[in-house]
Amino acid sequence: MNQSPATPIVSLRNVNKSFGRVFALEGINLDFYPGEIVSLVGDNGAGKSTLTKIIAGTEAPDAGGEIVIDSEKVGKWDAAKARNRGIETVHQNRALSEQQSIYANVFLGREITNRFGFVSRKAEIAETEALMRKIGYTSKVWTPKSTVNKLSGGERQGVAISRAILFESRLVMLDEPTTAMALSEAGEVMDFIHDLKKAGKSVIFISHNPWDAHMVADRFVVLERGRVVYDAPKGDMSADEFIALLHKFAKKDQS
Amino acid sequence: MTTDVLTPKKKVLIPEEYKPVFGAAVFFIVMMVGFIVAAPEVFLTVGIYTAIFLSLPLFTIVGLSLVYITAAGEIDLSFPSIIAISALAFTWTLEQTSLNFGLAILASLLTGIACGWINGLLVTRLGLSSLITTLGMNFALVGLTNILNNGVVRGITDIDDSRFRAILVGSWGPMPAQMFWSAGIAIILGVIFHRHRFGLHVKVAGDNPEAGRAMGVNIERTKTLAFILIGVCSSLTGIFAVLLNSTFFPTMGDGYLLPTLAAVFVGGTAVTGGKGTIGGLVIGAATVVFIQTGVVAAGLDGYWTSFGFGLVIVLSLIGHRRFSGKLTR
Repeated sequence: MNQSPATPIVSLRNVNKSFGRVFALEGINLDFYPGEIVSLVGDNGAGKSTLTKIIAGTEAPDAGGEIVIDSEKVGKWDAAKARNRGIETVHQNRALSEQQSIYANVFLGREITNRFGFVSRKAEIAETEALMRKIGYTSKVWTPKSTVNKLSGGERQGVAISRAILFESRLVMLDEPTTAMALSEAGEVMDFIHDLKKAGKSVIFISHNPWDAHMVADRFVVLERGRVVYDAPKGDMSADEFIALLHKFAKKDQS
Repeated sequence: MTTDVLTPKKKVLIPEEYKPVFGAAVFFIVMMVGFIVAAPEVFLTVGIYTAIFLSLPLFTIVGLSLVYITAAGEIDLSFPSIIAISALAFTWTLEQTSLNFGLAILASLLTGIACGWINGLLVTRLGLSSLITTLGMNFALVGLTNILNNGVVRGITDIDDSRFRAILVGSWGPMPAQMFWSAGIAIILGVIFHRHRFGLHVKVAGDNPEAGRAMGVNIERTKTLAFILIGVCSSLTGIFAVLLNSTFFPTMGDGYLLPTLAAVFVGGTAVTGGKGTIGGLVIGAATVVFIQTGVVAAGLDGYWTSFGFGLVIVLSLIGHRRFSGKLTR
């Protein structure tokens, strides 16, 4: 719950992001606590992806906003730093290099190397294989050495998700992880989010699907046109009530 | 869950990553058989190979670095002029220091590195197209070489007896020394390309730079280093060329552009970036140099060289597509 006395893993203080004259995010103040699953919902263009990219370090916020990690204000924030602080992201586009092998993608940016930078393929392949078995993404037709361009959409998502949990991640952000997936695959992703919570990790879950968003959440954050319009714990709100709430915001937005 | 779920059902004959090399090798062998049948009196004697092995290493060394830049999704057309200007730096320093080879090599390498670094910065920091940037750079450096050198040919015959020249371009048995040097460089750059973190990042830069950035890979630095590598390899090619001829020509880099690029693609490196093969480049360079020398040696008119090039490039492209394209699409 967001009333947790624990220190937030990530806090955003007055974060703005504009692209030219368009504000993608405006005056964002949010805290993300350990062990909490936050469903981040909102219409297309509400700023959900931009928000995750700022936390992930792949987009810089406008000057003036602050990113606070473990109550420590960070200066120049980038993707490598975010990952070092235990923040992993499953990007909407999966962020995979399709012509490289599965294991190379899993370890991309964090290769297991000797001290001269030569990659230990043996160690990377073994760890990738163990990981894929652990989370159940196994197949008869591909191995850790297969290139990503041979995989289905769901399998690619499996690789992206494996990568997010391989390292000592504390906060996992999933941006539309079930888009363009078969129902069975989407079900596996939802199970996986439950597993993350059991393992004590925090999750920011972005979805278009209000039922999914309701099912896994401890807390809802609703974005509309770059602003936070709702931020409260789920409590005993039912899925129907949650959807009614979203409709209310959508209507307001149009008037 | 059984233990073999991750094991492929059938053994593949040739792993996919070796297919481009294999294809290039088959092509090379077919071509050589053709040459031998056409002109056995030339291609079954040692003389022709000695001649080819003199110049093959020069194309190979600079070609190796072109595999990196192609895999990184960029292109460099300025390497011929980097060969010339770093060869000038080498020659000039030799003249000024009364044959201090160490300093001359250093000056040449630094010149090459500076040129590659400028290319890299223009492309990655200003976001310019590498095709146009390096095209412009090629003109600029050709001009600069002539301005600095006044169009003079510099003979440095006093290096003819130096031990240094013997080590770099002398004969080791029947083989020109530069064959061994280029083989060593090819092995080092091959291991880095296929096994080092940098090689992987180069390929990711050409395949999906956004994915690399999202995972914390510094794509800009990776590409800049690939441009610098071209500077280093061009400089080495320039040094070997000066030593071979004991002369610096301002037109030193001419004649490298198209054959070397052809070697990259005949070798099986995809023009689209994201992958490449060092072994293929070595075979591709041999293919190209054998055509250059072989067409004339086979008694055909020199005009046929160009025709032969065109034929080989298109045929090998078709071969690579048919051979390894099936699985990727």
